[in-house]
Amino acid sequence: MTSKAPTALAVALALAVGGVMPATAQGPIRIGASLSLTGTYAKLGKNQHEGYQLCEKEVNGKGGLLGRKVQFVVYDDQSMPATAVRLYEKLITEDMVDAIMGPYSSPVTEAAVNVTEKYKKVMVAPLAATTSIFKKGRKYIFMVISPAEVYLEGLVDMAAKRGLKTVAVVNEDTLFSKAAASGAVELAKKKGMQVVFTEAYPKGNTDFSALLTKIKAANPDVIAAATYFDDAVALTRQMKELNVNPKMYGVTVGGDLPEFYDTLKQNAEYIYGATQWEHTLPYAGNQEWFESYKKEFAHDPSYHSAAGYAGCLVYAEAAKRANSLDADKVREQLLKLEMRTIFGDYKVDADGFQVAHKMVTFQWQKEKKVTVWPDDLSKGKPLFPTPAWTGR
Amino acid sequence: MNVVVTPAMLGQVIISGILSGALYAMVALGLGLIFGVMRVINIAHGPLLMLGSYTTYFLYAHFGINPLLTVPIAMAVLFVVGVLLQRGLVFRVVDAPELSSLLLTFGISIMLVNLAQLAFTSDLRAVEYITGSWLVGGLAFSKPRMIAFVFAAAVTALSFLVLKFTRLGKAIRATSQSREVAMVCGVDVGRIHMLTFGFASALAAAGGALLAVIVAIQPEMGGVWTFKSFLVIVLGGAGNYPGALVGGLLLGLVEQVASLFLTTQLSEVVAYVLLVLVLLVRPSGLLGGRQT
Repeated sequence: MTSKAPTALAVALALAVGGVMPATAQGPIRIGASLSLTGTYAKLGKNQHEGYQLCEKEVNGKGGLLGRKVQFVVYDDQSMPATAVRLYEKLITEDMVDAIMGPYSSPVTEAAVNVTEKYKKVMVAPLAATTSIFKKGRKYIFMVISPAEVYLEGLVDMAAKRGLKTVAVVNEDTLFSKAAASGAVELAKKKGMQVVFTEAYPKGNTDFSALLTKIKAANPDVIAAATYFDDAVALTRQMKELNVNPKMYGVTVGGDLPEFYDTLKQNAEYIYGATQWEHTLPYAGNQEWFESYKKEFAHDPSYHSAAGYAGCLVYAEAAKRANSLDADKVREQLLKLEMRTIFGDYKVDADGFQVAHKMVTFQWQKEKKVTVWPDDLSKGKPLFPTPAWTGR
Repeated sequence: MNVVVTPAMLGQVIISGILSGALYAMVALGLGLIFGVMRVINIAHGPLLMLGSYTTYFLYAHFGINPLLTVPIAMAVLFVVGVLLQRGLVFRVVDAPELSSLLLTFGISIMLVNLAQLAFTSDLRAVEYITGSWLVGGLAFSKPRMIAFVFAAAVTALSFLVLKFTRLGKAIRATSQSREVAMVCGVDVGRIHMLTFGFASALAAAGGALLAVIVAIQPEMGGVWTFKSFLVIVLGGAGNYPGALVGGLLLGLVEQVASLFLTTQLSEVVAYVLLVLVLLVRPSGLLGGRQT
């Protein structure tokens, strides 16, 4: 070997190191995420994206993080878990981002987290509500929103307090809805209520006649439905058609969207829903945040926006306390952190599972969502019992 | 936890089954026509139905047109779309191996869904028109589904009359039976292909327009309808047009009755088990294939 080769190599190395290192040190902290910007979850994924954008703007407005600007690198996973896996792989290995934030939805997070764990990257996953994701011995994932199991807690609790005895639980047969339904069944049993009917239906089901015919025969006091949007709408319409009249009827996801009322109009009245967040909740700065979001994006935020925003702030706070972006140091802080944002409380157990955030239950009353549970966060009272369809 | 099934409950789900069955029959007739005449399995049939739903939605939301009046408009619009698709793309694969036509229509399907996502976003839309039901002797007849049933029955009946008695209908059936003989007899086969595709798209659009008042509208709503239509024409006998009617009603009833006695989840399994059984026992469908 001539003496030129090692010299050339050394020069190349020096160039590479010298050329790249200072640039990254002074450049922005790049936070990578894949989000559902198209596909089934597009609407919700976009709201989460806007939450991230607002967080980025705010952190930068306050002088950045660890003395550097923050910049999101976001790709579209088309609401598909397999695509998200590929994108997180790319973010970490090709784009070499400095930090990671979670995607939208439980199924996508469940897939993507395998990548972030493999590379030992912290992932605050603000929109994953399925307990099992956090109970598989994973080290670097952190939960922000309340788990699926407690979505129907408010409905069941209110029903039990009013002396109702029987409940029917139905759910879409997918990860989140199944967990929400099983949580409702457990809780109802614990409160001494009788679960008289349970049934799951496939995703995309549009005809609930047979299911509701059976529910009508079982005649429960309460119908607790672990739904997404389409099925919540179809179920409600067909309840009216088949004249099914429970004393209380609640849904999970979808029921809190303004479109739910736009679609069902007065038929949405009296329906209970659960939400992770409302702009009317008495958390400090909540109303102001709501206004600034509306100004920025020209539409109302949903809880997905608020959770995305809060999750990003939680990560930033932990990194600040760790004074580092090192995964293990940030992880340590995230496990210790107790923080209240406009989204409510953040505190996790040793698995990164959320234990402090509170779910609230609302009821549609005169075109508005009125918070009715829990008492300390509520402004209104539930209209009880729900009148029969024919008596409205 | 189980509910005892009473005759009244059975009656209720039979009503629901017939109501949805008529809709299945009408939409599947479109898929069956294209297959019969061109030997093309149109995967884009469901997405064409979705475009029908959006047509109704926009006419209703922006111009306040009564959703029922939009049915013929949606049919006309999608007739044109169908003709253009046939003229532009599908005619190229009519004589190609069946895999080519599957690939092409699959591609068209993806294209339509994604264009719809771009143009309409994936926000859920709904047409809130008539809700509730008529109660007759303890049985509920859902208003929107009854209306859809009546329209679907009328459109299907009209389609059969056209196929049976008009010159065009005869030409379509002749082309379906034997393209060469039809050509020899002076039928412009290319034109028949084009019109059939347009007509079939219009049937899908009618289904979409009627569904608009029943379910939430979104770009991916059509996919399941391609599969259901496929199931219906295989059950009834591919290429046999009255078979669509038998297959549609059968599917509607099986789905509902299975949901009642088993669960909603298992009803889909039952429908596909039925498909397998029919294919094993009567591969040409319940009414036999291609006798028009």
